[in-house]
Amino acid sequence: MIAQPFVYHAPTSVAEAIEILAENPGTSRVIGGGTWVVPECNRDESRPAALVDLRRAGLSGIDVVDGVVCVGATATYSAVMSSPDVARHLPLLAAMASGITGGRQIQSQGTVGGSVVAARPSSDAPAAVAALDATLVVAGPDGERRVTGTGMFADASTSCLREGEILTRLEFTVRPAARWGYYKLKRSASSWPIATAACVLGEQPRLVLGGVSATPVHVDLGSVLAGRPLTPDTIEEAVRRAADSVSTPWEDELAPATYRSAVAGPVARRALEMAAHQEES
Amino acid sequence: MSHGTAPRVSEARPLAGSSVRRHDGDAYVSGRIGYTDDLSLPGTAHVVLVRSDVPHARITVDVRDASTRPGVLTVATGRSLAGEYGPIPNAMDPVPTGGQPLEIHVLPVDKVVYVGQPVAAVVAESLAQALAAAADVKVHYEPLPHVMDPEAALAADAPLLYESWGSNVMLSGTVGSGDVEAAAARSAGVIHGTLRTGRGAPAPLEPRAYCADWDARTRRLTWYGTTQAPHPLRHTIAEFLGLRERDVRVVAPPVGGSFGFKNFGHPEEYLVCVLAVALARPVQWTEDRASTLRYGARDSRLAYTASYDDDGRVTSVACDMVANHGAASATGAFGMAFAGSLAMPSGYQVPDFRCDYRVVVTNKGPWSPLRPFGKEAGVLLMETVMDAVARRTGLDPLEVRRRNWVKADQFPYVTTTGLELDSGDYEGLLDKALTVLDYAAFREEQARARGQGRYLGLGVGFEVLPEGADIPGALIGASDISTVRMSPSGDVTVLTGVTSPGNGNDTAIMQIVADRLGVAMDSVSIVQGDTDICPFGFGNVSSRGILTGGGSAALAADDVAAKLRQVAASMLHVDDAERLVLRDGFVSVDGDLEQALPIAVVAHALYTVGYIVAPDVEPTLESTRTFRMRNIRHHADDDGKIMPFSTFSNGIYLSVVEVDIDTGVVDILRHVMVHDCGVMINPRFVTGQFTGGVVNGIGAALTEEVLHDPDGRQLSTGFKTFLLPRASDVPAFEIQHQVTPSPFTPLGTKGAGEGGVACTMASLLNAVNDALSPLGASITELPAVPHRVLAAIGGGQR
Amino acid sequence: MSTTEHDHSTTTRLSLNLDGTDRTADVDPRSLLVEALRDDFGVTAPKIGCATGDCGACTSRVDGQITKTCLRLAVSAEGSQIVTTQGLAEDGELDVVQQAFWDEQAFQCGFCLSGMIFAASELLAENPDPSEQDIRWAISGNLCRCTGYEAIVAAVRTAAARQREIPQRG
Repeated sequence: MIAQPFVYHAPTSVAEAIEILAENPGTSRVIGGGTWVVPECNRDESRPAALVDLRRAGLSGIDVVDGVVCVGATATYSAVMSSPDVARHLPLLAAMASGITGGRQIQSQGTVGGSVVAARPSSDAPAAVAALDATLVVAGPDGERRVTGTGMFADASTSCLREGEILTRLEFTVRPAARWGYYKLKRSASSWPIATAACVLGEQPRLVLGGVSATPVHVDLGSVLAGRPLTPDTIEEAVRRAADSVSTPWEDELAPATYRSAVAGPVARRALEMAAHQEES
Repeated sequence: MSHGTAPRVSEARPLAGSSVRRHDGDAYVSGRIGYTDDLSLPGTAHVVLVRSDVPHARITVDVRDASTRPGVLTVATGRSLAGEYGPIPNAMDPVPTGGQPLEIHVLPVDKVVYVGQPVAAVVAESLAQALAAAADVKVHYEPLPHVMDPEAALAADAPLLYESWGSNVMLSGTVGSGDVEAAAARSAGVIHGTLRTGRGAPAPLEPRAYCADWDARTRRLTWYGTTQAPHPLRHTIAEFLGLRERDVRVVAPPVGGSFGFKNFGHPEEYLVCVLAVALARPVQWTEDRASTLRYGARDSRLAYTASYDDDGRVTSVACDMVANHGAASATGAFGMAFAGSLAMPSGYQVPDFRCDYRVVVTNKGPWSPLRPFGKEAGVLLMETVMDAVARRTGLDPLEVRRRNWVKADQFPYVTTTGLELDSGDYEGLLDKALTVLDYAAFREEQARARGQGRYLGLGVGFEVLPEGADIPGALIGASDISTVRMSPSGDVTVLTGVTSPGNGNDTAIMQIVADRLGVAMDSVSIVQGDTDICPFGFGNVSSRGILTGGGSAALAADDVAAKLRQVAASMLHVDDAERLVLRDGFVSVDGDLEQALPIAVVAHALYTVGYIVAPDVEPTLESTRTFRMRNIRHHADDDGKIMPFSTFSNGIYLSVVEVDIDTGVVDILRHVMVHDCGVMINPRFVTGQFTGGVVNGIGAALTEEVLHDPDGRQLSTGFKTFLLPRASDVPAFEIQHQVTPSPFTPLGTKGAGEGGVACTMASLLNAVNDALSPLGASITELPAVPHRVLAAIGGGQR
Repeated sequence: MSTTEHDHSTTTRLSLNLDGTDRTADVDPRSLLVEALRDDFGVTAPKIGCATGDCGACTSRVDGQITKTCLRLAVSAEGSQIVTTQGLAEDGELDVVQQAFWDEQAFQCGFCLSGMIFAASELLAENPDPSEQDIRWAISGNLCRCTGYEAIVAAVRTAAARQREIPQRG
């Protein structure tokens, strides 16, 4: 039972959602799948006057439009896992979705978009989405804007969303198939990710670490991997850069900063080795 | 009737010993079992507790605003209740053994001693109203310095939780005998070490829930709730409220797991009574997960010195145990330190042994009883010592154990702490385990793996668990009463004082009774957990459901069976009633169904035509029995030792793990378990107890730890921060049983409810250390979470 | 559905198809779905073990998807079709997963059963012959503190074998 009263809204369009948020400045919370916001309210850690539930806002679809894969803000992990378009163009995203904590129920309740907006450091989605060079499409009172790269995550539990805005979809440009790797380190099945590494080795190779810092860490690969084969030497160099890129390691109940710092390299190595072992497709 | 061979009853094929499924399993799987929180009495008022934000402070509570909120019926505080009600009764009292007096109130009167401690109870018409009003209770804190670490709490200038004690030591003592220093001095070698266990928690899936209903007209209180011990709880509720015991009825609906947590002595058990009496209506409280996790266990430091001779024989062990109890509680949890010390020599012949233990209070939440009730400390200690001796002497760890074990022909064997081990064949356990796991082949595989940069380890864990406790002076006894009665239609009802925490002991007791009366399972029903109906019992503590409840039911069923034979002998004109066989629903002469009567006919006859068919037989088909354990001794011997346990189940585990040395993650590859809990009434239920215990042990060894921040706040408040193992964390277990009956119990059974936890903690600790040994690293603290393992290896220091 | 206004004393009307029956109840709009099912509709098969979506004891099938009902606001389920373990049995006959859980002693206290049974059912609907690893992963969203999971895995295997032998039910 949520202790404090609130008004529940289930807008049926983005415009309606924006309108409701505008009417409740600073006192509303948006619900994607509900797996984070609902228990937070139930623990009385958040006391919104309005809860805006996007489940009826028509944002759950996954489509390919003009060479762009559009993943709606309320598309669940299950939807991502079962989408042929995701399987074909974004296998890394599907791999991430299939490994989240919480089992089948959470896969069909939790949303990638919600996880991105929650922007929690110990979370699967942010680093994977960053490695896939996603564009976040955000709607607000002033219309739509698009956010990419390091702009997506401002700080721990703080995304790029401003007051009154909602995420409407994630866009991924379809690129030529490339090797990719994903590795998640967790303490046990109950645990949030302690450290993740996601890499996509296309024309512009990207390696992003999750869990190890307040926001995803884009490893500066320089020219180590661009246009060069994955060899033990290039992997070694990329791992070294990954290990060095964690300047302010994250710390929480599940793992101290020293540990996160220490595993950044090994986790990066495993993602890269996964990519190295992939068949050219 | 028949031609040819005369029809006979079936060959004896007792239900007891077979894995009959749960008698009420269909109700469970279709969601129709009513747990406490599923009940809803008309007119129930709901309680929400306001909890302390600080670890140690004097408090004043202002409830004026909250009291006026919509729907609020009353807001109680420690001060508002203190005039009328004293402290709650203690499940066990430390004072007789030289400890400090415990005065736990339903709500604290003057000060709080841990974050999350309830300070006020808001009662309202609805839960929503109580929740909303709780936000308006104002607590003024006058902070006091707090202490979380037991070593710091022992310092002379440490803040005192309970000023009248003069220190933070609730209880201290020494167990063992001999001269450990002298023994060490004349031994070939001495080992020193320290082991630490993190704070665990019972964490049953069902949080506690209590509902009290006061009938002002009859002045009778009915209490429903999550309890393991209805009769002892009734006694203490009556004492607390100043009622006669007969005016309190305790009903225990099925519980969603207990593990010791739901034995009695929680303040809220009595709080709902006080509120129900005040309001003259049902009052219900259900806790949330964070509240459940505030009750912990373990959190101990064992500093030890052990000596050994060159042949691998351990000559002495001395241990100094400091147990972090957190805040005091009335649940008798402190007994875990004592039980752990008593159990310490385990099943080994340790000529000189001493354990000094101190139970220290700090500003964490209180200890709760938790299976295996502290005994994991002794198991961890001795299994660590055995491996250390193996390393020092160059002997194989298995061989070291063989050389130190009590031998099968030495039982009953009195340990150096005064426990009389009943029976066992410890080498037999190991031999059985080695039929499952090829030890030599593993060592080869381990060597190969090391060549490939993989770190495999094998660890041994061996446990002997004193169970079936009878604690002098406490309402924790090793005798429960059972009644068996047969109705005129032949229906059998068992009423018993033991309760079931979900382990199936009710079904197993029905198996025992059905066998002895020769009737089908579906002719038998059982009633547990209602003090108005059931005979006295201590509930389910110390692994005694079948031991005591099953044993007493067997005796009572035998009485009824004898009566049926007497009546049938008269009806069938047989002189010797002993010739009558009860089986397949018939009483037959020597098993001949042509000279037989349906049991229901015999029962009916006794009730209706007894003056004709059996005028000399007392007209009742009912018996109430219990028995005394023959090996329990409460008169202290010359050394002051008593023998408070009735059985000693035992087991050995071999764990194979792989340690990822880049990340410190431990993966369990194999887990071989061999158990001996004497005669098994329902092997599948017994196996379930052990596999459950194993996963509790895996949690304690690898994942579960309640953490606090320096400000005294508990960081582990839910299942995202207190990590229970999940199905994908554990391998398929390789399970074997060995049966060495207890010579002291009616059915040859031993306790089975605490096995597996300690053994697993030890086998995993030793397996991890075996894997790390090529790196010259070892861990001495559980749980072996990845960052601890990596730190031991020297990673994380770059 | 649009907006639901309320204050402390008001309730909102919630209509569901629950275990095959159209039901309506007045619920406090602050209720979690599991609370509404238990307290307002009197269907207590889903349990509250954590209220944070970790233990799975509150699991029910909501509009065809197995759902941790502690993570849903009751008001968000207006018009939903909900099945609990109480509604799985057809004509009082246990379904194949329930039956296997009973036969294999796949529970002790029983508090985890809603999560375990629904997770197993969903697995078997997709994969009639799951491996041990498939089973362990499929039930990993649910906690059990009693059994050590061993018997649960066995029950899912048994249910799978029995399901393969019998023709699919409607």
